[in-house]
This record gives sequence, C-alpha cells and structure tokens, in this order.
Amino acid sequence: MNQLRILWTFFRLGAMNELAYRVNFFTQLFQAVMSLVLSLGGLAVVFNQTDTLAGWRPAELVALVGIYILVGGLINLMIQPSMQRFMEDIRMGTLDFMILKPADAQFLVSVRQVEIWKLIDIIMGLGVLVIALVRLGAQIGMAQALAFGVALLAGATIVYSFWMMLATCAFWFVKTENILVIFQSMYQAGRWPITIYPGWLQMMLTFLVPIAFAVTVPAQALTGRLTNQTLLLAILVATGLFGAARWFWRFGIRYYAGASA
Amino acid sequence: MIRAIGEIYAAQLRTSLAVQFQYRMSLAIWMIGRVIQPLVALVVWTTVARARGGDVSGYSEGDFAAYFIIQMIVTQATFSWIMWEYDYIIRSGQFSFRLLRPIHPIHADVADNLAYKVLTLVILIPAAFFLAWLFPPTLHWQWWNIVAGLLATVIAFIMRFTLEWMLAMTALWTNRVSAVNQTYDVILIFFSGYFAPLAVMPQLVQTLANFLPFRWLIAFPIELTLGRLTPTEILIGFGAQLFWLVIVQASLRYVWRAGVKQYSAVGS
Amino acid sequence: MADPVILLDNLSKTYLVPERDAGVMAAARSLVQRRHRAIKAVDQVSFRVEPGEVVGFLGPNGAGKTTTLKMLSGLLHPTSGTGRVLAYEPWQRQRDFLKVITLVMGQRNQLNWDIPASDSFELNRVIYRVPPAQYQQTLEELVELLELGPLINKPVRNLSLGERMKCEIAAALLHRPQVLFLDEPTIGLDVTAQRRIREFIREYNRRHNATILLTSHYMADVEALCKRIVVIHHGRILFDGPLAELVKRFSPHKTIAVELEHPIESNQYADFGEVVTQDDGRLMLRVPKADTAKVAGRLLAQLPVSDLTIEDPPIEEVIEQVFAQEVES
Repeated sequence: MNQLRILWTFFRLGAMNELAYRVNFFTQLFQAVMSLVLSLGGLAVVFNQTDTLAGWRPAELVALVGIYILVGGLINLMIQPSMQRFMEDIRMGTLDFMILKPADAQFLVSVRQVEIWKLIDIIMGLGVLVIALVRLGAQIGMAQALAFGVALLAGATIVYSFWMMLATCAFWFVKTENILVIFQSMYQAGRWPITIYPGWLQMMLTFLVPIAFAVTVPAQALTGRLTNQTLLLAILVATGLFGAARWFWRFGIRYYAGASA
Repeated sequence: MIRAIGEIYAAQLRTSLAVQFQYRMSLAIWMIGRVIQPLVALVVWTTVARARGGDVSGYSEGDFAAYFIIQMIVTQATFSWIMWEYDYIIRSGQFSFRLLRPIHPIHADVADNLAYKVLTLVILIPAAFFLAWLFPPTLHWQWWNIVAGLLATVIAFIMRFTLEWMLAMTALWTNRVSAVNQTYDVILIFFSGYFAPLAVMPQLVQTLANFLPFRWLIAFPIELTLGRLTPTEILIGFGAQLFWLVIVQASLRYVWRAGVKQYSAVGS
Repeated sequence: MADPVILLDNLSKTYLVPERDAGVMAAARSLVQRRHRAIKAVDQVSFRVEPGEVVGFLGPNGAGKTTTLKMLSGLLHPTSGTGRVLAYEPWQRQRDFLKVITLVMGQRNQLNWDIPASDSFELNRVIYRVPPAQYQQTLEELVELLELGPLINKPVRNLSLGERMKCEIAAALLHRPQVLFLDEPTIGLDVTAQRRIREFIREYNRRHNATILLTSHYMADVEALCKRIVVIHHGRILFDGPLAELVKRFSPHKTIAVELEHPIESNQYADFGEVVTQDDGRLMLRVPKADTAKVAGRLLAQLPVSDLTIEDPPIEEVIEQVFAQEVES
C-alpha cells in the first residue's frame, strides 16, 4: 500500500513540476495531434488505394493506431523517463540515494520520473480507440474485452521488463542510452500490424524489441484475431520477463555493491 | 574569399569528423531509425500492391522497392537536424559564440552535416544493398539517370539545408520551436514523396505538392534517378529546384539579418 | 560504557579494475580474456564510534574515506571483515537500518532540480513513512536551525550552492536518523555558508545526541566539530584519537612567536631556528619540539623580547606531515 502512496507522490511531483511550465502542455498537445495526423493521414493514403491491408479493415487499423498511441503514451509517461533517469543516476552516482531509501529500490527507480503531459497521448489513444470501436459496430463481448485488458497488461509488463533489463546493463556499461534509441526507432514499426512484415522482421519485433506484444497483440484481441495460444504466450512471456528483470536487477545491485565481484 | 572559405571548410570538416567519429556507435544506432522508415513504408506499399493485383498507380512491387531504397539514400543525403539543434543552441545562449566568429555560422553547420553524411555512408550503402536483396527492385535506369539524380540530390541538399536553417532561426523569436518543427516534419512527410510516391497519393495532395517546394527535395531526385521522368519533366524539375533555391537563399539572407538584429536587441 | 554505534573490525574492500590497452584489437581481446588489477581501497580498517560522538574522518583524495562511508551506509559490500552500525550489518540494507541512518554527499544532490525542495521533502516523508505530526515537528526544527524559511518553496535550481546544501541536509534528516554520515558536506561553499552548516551540525548533535562521522577537506570543520579524528591513508588507519594528540604525535616542531622591543639585524636571530616569517618587531620561528624550552630561554636572554608565545603548528600542516611521512616509509 505504501507503494501506491509513493507512486501517487511521484505523480503529484511530476504534475507540479510540469505545471510550472505550462507551455509544455501545449507543446505536448501539439505533438500528440501531429503524431495522430501522421498516423491517420498514413492510413487515409493507404486506404485511398485499397479496402483492406493484409486482412485488416480501415476501422480495425484505426483501433490499432489508437493502441499504438495509448501504449506509446504509457511508455513515455513513466517507463522511459524513469529508465533514463535510472541510467543517469548510475552514471552520476546519485543512484546511491535511491538505494539508501527504506523502500524497494527497483520500484523506486521504476516510477521515479513521471512526465505528466504524456497523459494527453493516453487520453487521445483511448479516444481514437473508442471511435474506432464505435465504427466497427462494437460487437465486443466480455471475453474479448477481458482478453484485450489482459493482452494490454501483458504487453505493458513486457515492455517495462525489457527496458528494466536494458537499463540495468548500465551497471556494467556506461553508455547504454543508445539502446533506448533502438527501441524508439523500432517502435514506429508498430503503427502497422506486424503480420505484414517479413518473417525475420516479425521475429525481431516480437522477441528482440517486444513491439508485437505491446501493440499488435492487444489490437488482435480487440478485433477477434487473437488465438488462445498467442494470449497464453503473451502472459507467459510477461511473467517470465518480469521475473527475469527482477532477478537481473538484484544481480546488478549486488554487483554495484561489490557483493558478487 | 572562396579560398578562405575552402580552408575553413577543410578545417571544420576535419574537426567534425574527429568529433563525430568518437560517437560512431551512436551514429550507427541512429541509422536504424533511418533504415526502418523506408523499410516500413516499403512493406506497407508492397502489401497494398499485392492486394491490388501487383500495381498501384503505375508502381509494381519492384518499383516500390526501387523507390524506397533510393528514397532512403536521398533522405539521408538531404536531411538535417539543424532545427532541433538551434532550438537548444539559442536557448542555452551558445548562439553568442557562433556570432563571435568572423564567418557566417551556416558554414560550420554545413561542414558538420557533411561529416556526418560521410561517416554514415559506411552503414547506408550496406543497408541499401541489404534492402535490395530482401526486396528485389525493378530498375530501368541509364548511367546518365544516376549522374542527373546525384546532381538533383546535391541541389536538393543545398535547398533543404537553407530552408531548414532559415526555419531554425525562428527560435530567435519564439520558444515554441518544436511546434514549428513538428508541423514542418508532417508536411514534409506527406508532400515530398517521403511517405509514398506522389503518384499514389490522393489527388488533392498531388495538386498541392506542385505549389510547394517539398517534392523537389525528395520525389524529384528519386524519380529522376529511377528514370521515371520524361525530358520535359526533368527540365521542369531542375527549373523548379533552381527557382526555389533562389527564393530560399534570398529569404535566408533576410531572415538572418532580422534574426541577428532581434538577438542583439533582446539578448539571451 | 554503552554499546558502540559504529564498530568496524578488519574491514577491507578490494576493487577489481579491468585493465585494457587502447585500441580496437585490445577491446576485442578483452571481451574474451579480461585482465584485472586488484586495488585495495580499504585495508583492514578497525575503529569504533560511541553514541553521540562526532568523529572526523580524514585523509587525502583516494585514501578510502568514501569507500568506508559507503560500506557503513550499506551501499558497498566489503571484501572481508565485519562491521556493525547500531547492531545492524549495513550491507544487508534492512529497512529498519536505512531508516535510522543518513548519508549526505556534498558533491551529489538528491533533491529534484526543477521543483521546490519542500516537494522533494514530501517525497522523502512518504518513502520513510514519517508520521505527519513528527514530520511537521522535524521540518519546523530544521527550517528554524538552517534558516530555510524563504528557501524551501523556490525551485532548487534557483538556489545558491550554499542554500542548496542546506536543503540537501534538511532532506537527509527529515526521518530523524541517529547516525549521520557526512561526506564533504561543506565542499565548495563560501566561508559564511561553511560556518552556518558547521554550527548546525554541532547543534543537531547536541539536541539529538546523534552520532556523526564526518569527512572534510576543511580543517576548520574538523577543529570546530570533532574531538576525535580518524586518519586514513592508502586504505589504512594511521591515527585514531583526539585532535590534540595528533598534533603532539606527528608534529616534531613547535612555533615560537616573538614580539621584539625594536627591530634587529637578521644575523642576530638566524641561528635560533627556521624562520617562518619576520617583519619589523615580529618573528616566527619553527624549532624542534625537544629544543623548545632551550631556544625560548636563549631568545629571552639574548634578544630584546617584549612578548613570547609557543604554539602548535596549524593543523593543516600537521596533517600534511602525516601523509608525507607515510609516503617516505
């Protein structure tokens, strides 16, 4: 429960921090709108030439874009800024302050930096998603909604664990920011269903940089394309990676403290 | 004068190369993003072409492959990060140092940009061959297409750099440069032939693109290289490039003077 | 005597530093086969600190001070030896242990740069689970003692270095730790700010009987705060005892200051000892400790002395000598 209070405090700090620079709100809003224009404009151009893309109808791809923006917002709200801060803390030596606190240090470093305006992306992503669902005729049953929720949670967990493990590498290698650039570069491939990509790229986007689980799988769940096997795989990968990230963090901290050296 | 600038360029290039070589790993990794975009666009349009039985507005699968591979090269050759850099340079006050130098600051930026392009060739060329191996392109170019395409790319680079350097100066008047930059990026993506060949874009976009400078930055050099243009179209293209080049160069002079005045009045 | 608050027994820390030659080939080779060099940062250090004591922990850069402090606060795991802080083994990092200690690092900040310090304080309150009433009381006390009133609601980036350090110290003390590890808390500050912080530390120690282990490059800090000092060099303890004892043991010299009735020629005093300074009527001489009385007698007998005092040399000089001796031996 104390973890919730800590989380809430970080959110409040993030909010107060950002409220001081209100111009950032408009910057972020503008950026979100432009990103939306880019995504939907791309869809409009493509569907100007065809009715379905690899079996996905326009409204279904709009739903995918909604999830793409939503998940991107989740990542940029807390995961990415916290992980960047974490690696910076290792480099500057200020990670010590986190480790000295009487709370779970992995939790602290994971939630410590909140960029509150990214909520705009989350709200906008949800908005796009809802509009798409209405246009789809919204034949979404409880089972599908539940599968979507589970898939989204699994996707978010996978992305978090993935970043956590990469960031933990900073204990050994000083320059790891570049790994984050790889993720950001590859994330844009998630605008489209990964099933359109050639096999090797699908594998990369699934297991090397887990964009498939983060965006495509939830979208599949919502549009009735998800098999039980895929959902189960997502859950297993999420659980496994989360555990692995935890273990790796412990290992990293022990190395940092010189206990395993 | 020209010799002096030549010497300065040589010196600046050497420094930029040395500095950027230190970041070779970062450079390599940034290139991933520059390869991913054409790859994604290529896959999307290939999928569309297949759905339509192999052809979209005169572009087959192989044509799309050729288009986006050349697009990657032309984009890499012409792009700059100057608008984002100047936002930082001006806000942090480093702009003053640039003004202190007895030479127009654009030259240092050009040299920096060229150094980056030279270094990233090492990745760009293998990436182009890699894409060509994955998606066999249909090529019907002549040797002169490549020469003319190179020339058009060089003009496009000068024009785009001037345009973006001029836009970068807006940071002297507003602190919302990111909005300017993002708007510019989105317009460029749709109206330049970056996201797709203009021929497959909706009619409205095609019409508007004729009145904007952007198609001469990317679409024209690509289509010229691929031998998709008639001699008349080639002449019109070079004419349009020169026309816009004169306009942006003249505007740059004006904006630069006004910008320095603004900066010295307000300070930073 | 009560149980010691800090107890170190043969504590050692060895770092393995990878050795690598420059160049791409060497980098590739090092992936396969890594050579390491062991560096003993802390070498069999033993000492104890009693409740309420303020101990100065001195040594040149790289002597092992920070490594020791990091082990005591649980950030580093020792290679060998044992250590206890309030009956806890620090590197277990138990929550209860972390709640009763604090570490202030003069060269690093924990406060968020962009927001007022009071907001960062609030975060620490939540993380340390300080009860609201106690928090309020502690905060008021710290605001009063450190004169933080006008500071804590300004964004930290707008504060001066000294103001920021005061806020850093307050943030580190909100949970009322019983053991304070202060690593260069006054570094880079101007003289007034240094004095403020020094006074605060003394007052805090007096009010709460907190145990304090302090490192500083400024001897004024040490002289004002620490009755006892521990000197570490090359990872080993060179001295542990009262400050006065250090001077007695390590300085083979005394300084004799002489006030003369009228100026005299330099050849008249040159053979009494090493002349440190001299201007009309004032003379400073450094003489071997054993000869002090004899030289003073001769001075009084042979020169027109109006006043004569015998002093210990400045503490900085003594410390320098301690380190210099180590190098020679």
